[in-house]
Amino acid sequence: MMQVVAAGLRATVQDRGRFGHLREGVPPSGPADPHAFAAAQALVGNDAGAAAIEIVGGAFAFRCDDARIVAVTGRDVAIRGRDRVPGWTAAFARPGETFTVVSGERSRFAYLALSGGIATEPILGSRSAFLPAGIGRPLGAGEALPLGPARLDVERAGRSAPVPDYDTGQIRAITGPHAQRFTDEAEFLFFSSEFRVEPASDRMGTRLSGPRIAAREGEILTSGVVAGAVQIPWGGSPIVLGAEHQATGGYPVIATVISADLGLVAQRLPGERLRFARVDRGLAIAALRDARAGLGSIA
Amino acid sequence: MSEPRVSPFGDGALLVELGEAIDETLAARARALADAWDAQGEGCAVPAYASVVVRFDPLRLAPAAAETSVLRMAKTLEHLAREPGREIEIPTHYDGPDLVETAERSKLSIEELIATHSGREYRAFFLGFLPGFAYCGVLDPRIVAPRLLRPRERVPAGSVAIADGQTSVYPFNSPGGWRLIGRSDVRIFDLTRDSPALIRPGDRVRFVAR
Repeated sequence: MMQVVAAGLRATVQDRGRFGHLREGVPPSGPADPHAFAAAQALVGNDAGAAAIEIVGGAFAFRCDDARIVAVTGRDVAIRGRDRVPGWTAAFARPGETFTVVSGERSRFAYLALSGGIATEPILGSRSAFLPAGIGRPLGAGEALPLGPARLDVERAGRSAPVPDYDTGQIRAITGPHAQRFTDEAEFLFFSSEFRVEPASDRMGTRLSGPRIAAREGEILTSGVVAGAVQIPWGGSPIVLGAEHQATGGYPVIATVISADLGLVAQRLPGERLRFARVDRGLAIAALRDARAGLGSIA
Repeated sequence: MSEPRVSPFGDGALLVELGEAIDETLAARARALADAWDAQGEGCAVPAYASVVVRFDPLRLAPAAAETSVLRMAKTLEHLAREPGREIEIPTHYDGPDLVETAERSKLSIEELIATHSGREYRAFFLGFLPGFAYCGVLDPRIVAPRLLRPRERVPAGSVAIADGQTSVYPFNSPGGWRLIGRSDVRIFDLTRDSPALIRPGDRVRFVAR
């Protein structure tokens, strides 16, 4: 078992996501920063399908009944037990030792993985919380979470994974799928302007302000959407869909952020700026391959 | 049927557009194509009115191969049998906050509006927006009305609503821009059921005045 000592502002259990019920309108959920999540799992030696904890703000503290390997990833994070261990580094947790996840000023989403994974009961095929539909709940102090069995691989302690450059405001995106809904001028404006992240951003999406990007006249039929889709609502302020996006959307999508860069968008703080760089699909897939290979080498 | 239009949707999905209309035939084709994609086991598909988004892992299935595969599947759907769908009844109290205004703009009495809305069977085209939220249509043209200019911040769960040519029931309290004409006590999305969504894509839906 893992005991939650302090829960911070909002902590939830998340696995890769709930993709089997999109057709019933159930959002995928899963980690807002999929790369940081996958890195935390790889550091502690878990399968990619294991569940971890996503922490948003405040100090999250825990202890485990038995010895485990733990790791924290995200932007500007560290973990403190007897010693302070930097983020993106595996640590050895003694039975009963209390650890605190330390979120810095630029932290937004932190991931805490423990060897064996969080073994709560899956709902609709996934352990990911989706609070608006009563799937899962925010974790509270005093709560105990079951952990899966794990072979204790002490050798892992101290291993680390490369930290992405979260401070870059450069976000790579592929044009479309509704590119024909925008004039060349609108597309040029989109790919050459700087946008600011708005405070209303959350797990559903990152809301941006900047120059108004106008779509051509006329409605589009609602269709399925994916995380990373940059929707342009009628006001012209882009929204980059996040992990908790609705299964379908009715606004034109000017571009889609590449899988490797989804976390760079989610981790931007309100007031920070970003720009979109147009890339082709081949480059996007190469970037995803590099990211996965990087994790494969620490797993 | 013309060839579907396939566009990249990021690096791990394709948007497959089968047409540009809200009609039962296109929506049924979209659902059948989504079933075929799901059966292949490369990732999940999300059908809507006239399109399907198919997801895949681009490191396992090259996008070009995914395109070929989905186009081949679309061709085999030409002679699609119409799905019967299940019959779902939604007991409805017609007392929503937008009932009077919606009747007025349709130049109908409240009784006529209720009779018109409850007087036909709708098809659930697809689910989206919220868990269990079914886009059902199509409405009698006389009661077609656009979404509200200012969406409500909180629409109560169970609200029976219309917008453009469609009707639905809100499964949860949520923001929403549809016109609220009534409410129902049925649980639209219930995790304790084997299939949590009461209305499933392809079902036939009828509103019964209470």
